[in-house]
Amino acid sequence: MNVLDLRHRASTGAIALGYRLIVVIAIGVALSFASDAFLTPTNILNVLRQAALLFLIASGLTLVILTAGLDLSVAANLGLAACVAASALKATGSPVVGVLTGIACGVGVGFANGLLVTALRLPPFIATYGMLWVLHGLSYYYMAGETIYGFSPGFREIGSGYLVGVPIPIYLMFVFLAIGWFFTQRTTWGQEIYAIGANPVAARLSGIPVQRRLLLVYTLSGGMAGLAALVYLARLNSAEADIGEPLLLPAIAACLIGGASLFGGVGTISGTLIGALILTLVLNGMNLLEVSANWQPFVTGAIVLAGVGIDMLTRRRAEEKH
Amino acid sequence: MKRAMLMTAAAFAMLAASGVKAEGEKIAVFTKNNTNPFFQAVRLGADSAAKQMNVTVTQFVPTKPDSIPEQMSQIEDVIVRRPDAIVFIPVDYKAMTPGVEKINRAGIPAVNIVDRSAGGKFVAFVGANDYTIGLATARHLVRALGGKGNVVIIEGVRGSLTSNDRVRGFQEAIKEAPGVKLLASQPANYQRLQALQVMENLMQSHPQIDGVLAANDAMALGALEALDGAKRKALVIGINGTKEAVDAIKSGRLLASGDYNGFLQGCMGTMIAARNLRKLPTPREILLPPVVVDKSNYQPYDIPVESRTCPKWESIVKTGR
Amino acid sequence: MHDAMASIADARGQNFAARLRGVPGVAIILVLLVVVFGLTSRHFASEANLLNVAMQTTILLMIALPMTLVILSEGLDISLGAVLTLCNVVLALMLVRGAGLAGALAASLVVGGAFGLANGALVSLAKMPPFVATLGTLGIAQGLALVLTDGQSVVGLGDAIESIASGRVLGVPIPLAFAIGSYGLTHWLLYHTRFGTYVFAIGGNREALVLAGVRVNLHHIGIYVFAGLMAGLAALLLTARMSSGHPTAAIGMEFDAIVAVAVGGTSFERGEGWLFGTVLGVLAVGVLRNGLNLLGVPSSLQVVSIGVLVMVALLIDGFRKRR
Repeated sequence: MNVLDLRHRASTGAIALGYRLIVVIAIGVALSFASDAFLTPTNILNVLRQAALLFLIASGLTLVILTAGLDLSVAANLGLAACVAASALKATGSPVVGVLTGIACGVGVGFANGLLVTALRLPPFIATYGMLWVLHGLSYYYMAGETIYGFSPGFREIGSGYLVGVPIPIYLMFVFLAIGWFFTQRTTWGQEIYAIGANPVAARLSGIPVQRRLLLVYTLSGGMAGLAALVYLARLNSAEADIGEPLLLPAIAACLIGGASLFGGVGTISGTLIGALILTLVLNGMNLLEVSANWQPFVTGAIVLAGVGIDMLTRRRAEEKH
Repeated sequence: MKRAMLMTAAAFAMLAASGVKAEGEKIAVFTKNNTNPFFQAVRLGADSAAKQMNVTVTQFVPTKPDSIPEQMSQIEDVIVRRPDAIVFIPVDYKAMTPGVEKINRAGIPAVNIVDRSAGGKFVAFVGANDYTIGLATARHLVRALGGKGNVVIIEGVRGSLTSNDRVRGFQEAIKEAPGVKLLASQPANYQRLQALQVMENLMQSHPQIDGVLAANDAMALGALEALDGAKRKALVIGINGTKEAVDAIKSGRLLASGDYNGFLQGCMGTMIAARNLRKLPTPREILLPPVVVDKSNYQPYDIPVESRTCPKWESIVKTGR
Repeated sequence: MHDAMASIADARGQNFAARLRGVPGVAIILVLLVVVFGLTSRHFASEANLLNVAMQTTILLMIALPMTLVILSEGLDISLGAVLTLCNVVLALMLVRGAGLAGALAASLVVGGAFGLANGALVSLAKMPPFVATLGTLGIAQGLALVLTDGQSVVGLGDAIESIASGRVLGVPIPLAFAIGSYGLTHWLLYHTRFGTYVFAIGGNREALVLAGVRVNLHHIGIYVFAGLMAGLAALLLTARMSSGHPTAAIGMEFDAIVAVAVGGTSFERGEGWLFGTVLGVLAVGVLRNGLNLLGVPSSLQVVSIGVLVMVALLIDGFRKRR
């Protein structure tokens, strides 16, 4: 895997990103014609905030997918981290302790996933799926069917607060977009992760410490789940055992629509952001147009197929040109 | 001589047997999932009743929330264990009929609580009339609005008995007040986050919303978060009477919540099951009367569920609850 | 060309021999579970209970068997649960409209087969990663199930369907007969037909097949169509078990099937695997759940145990492979 190949990937990646941005704008335009309520500032901010929440959890997942892996436990991780952080918040009344606890829990779980995959050599699908069950069980046991609610206004700013009229989660989204972009595109570690996904054997032979990098991506995925948990917690002002459950498939869908390939080595953080935006936009539109919620899974499935399909077509055409 | 002794012994034995109260019966309690606090309240009610009545309760909850095949399997497994009685909430009130019929065929007496099963035989039913609760709570809101304004309904899980009936109650209350206009009715699966997002979207399409009728407390609280976030105000009602709702009523954020008392239903279901085993008189049906919890009467609901104990049987029957 | 085919057939034979050489992890786990539960619960070893476990696992088995083929071909089908659910809904709706058991089953098979065809086309022709393709069809199937029923259960199916759940054929309960028949069919397909050879080959070395002039796409699509048809058939058992159709009845079941296949010793890559291992995997999960229910273990602990089982089973196999 030489540098030229990586550059080549970057340029095809840029084309794919361009197509996706056009799709986002097209959907936005269509919706603004279809519904008067769409193009209002409040609605746009709502959409961006909802997309931000999805992006935070999907961004870590993207890193794992880049290595041709999968982390099915992110949503359960989010749930447990939220519950643990919630108790810490209630027990100490300190937002800082709550934040640290939530992230620590997420990182811890992510690290455990990484160990299962690297040291114990379990296939990522199985390791993280088993972890999903373990985490759910722990959450049920820990929460005993209750909710923890009522957090300090300071903490709740993370999820429900505004800064200069823009919801804080949106700032977080851009911050992590920048961090993610920098990490994947401009650091050696990021490039190594791409290489591992594209060709693990070659990566190892060229001296990349594959196991350490894998451990890193799973830990990061867990950490982002922990972070996302805090934002959800702050937004909902309560924690329940199943707070994360409906998020797993949308998170995976966002990565895939954003262009990440499960074969590894392809995908970007920005792509995932756009994937999250597309999903959220469509669901928002369905709500505004009062389309029955029954259609939501259908539409999500169709978008995934369409998005990936178009992506593959454009990639193939781009590759033919080279 | 020997015969006289035998006769006396037999007489004593019969006397002893009639005086002995059965103890330590095993009761299996089925609830829908691990995640909804309502069912935790039911389980705690069952446990509390078990202590009072001196029976042992084993809880059965599907590992996949609301899973029909899993509850079916649990029923089969439980039948093998042969508990003395069963207290049963079907995960789906229509689809679990074959499961109930299995219990009937095994000859194990069962008490149906919370969701009235569409089929199968039960010793008794304990529940609330979701329709009357929805109606009463919605009427409360309509009255608070002075009989006019714009309202939205946030439904529960489409297709569930509780949601269907509660929403019907809401709609009836709205019909009674010609000045109240129903703008929209959308489901949020009894989930807080979904209700929050649904409410956000509804607020976009409808600039003026005066009242929100949510089919349960979690969704009512989610709608409140959305309103707070948009700095808008509306009167909101929920159903369940959870501690969190009571806190919100105390602070004035939530207008009212319909009492749909899981703890009490768990208590009564277990008590009826135990009494039935001991051949004590039990009613065939207990329908909790609709109580709307608001600022004036929240005190009894202010106790956290873990600290509650079941009321004595005599007081339940006397007040006709 | 002939050499390529010969070496592929060789590989398949080798897998079987390798399986027999060491006792597979899943067998150890299954035996352990049976022993532990047999000792700790007096109901476990009763005839009634063992029959229950067998009956409870039939539906999962019927989708885990084709899932084995899919995974052997280096694929994945996460739409099976949703397709099974949709077939259940369609079957129920047909019965309600008076279609009769045969007509309803036919409709169910058509729906399952159609989704299988779509999956196969997306994976083999459009070259979409299987997870993605089946994630898409999962959403479509689930959406259709919700739309057709508006979230409500479909009841009033008549008596014919109940006889499937409780009836016997040659003294064997019908669901079990279906399970045994499905195993027999899948075993024959995989180990005694050319199609089966191709399944292994598509997983191990697809290019070799193409070079050998085989119509690979046809067989590749066939794998997914088989899975879809089995889902359509399994829907009959599911509908009978519930005497109803429900739009969320089997959602998520494909993950249990994937776990059973993996626990049973089929690898996600390299086209290595063992069909009977899937049966043992399904039984292991079924026995675990049943045993925990019999012991009255709290639900949260049950959830954790399932996760642990999954990891342990694969750990055992992993250690063995390294030796």
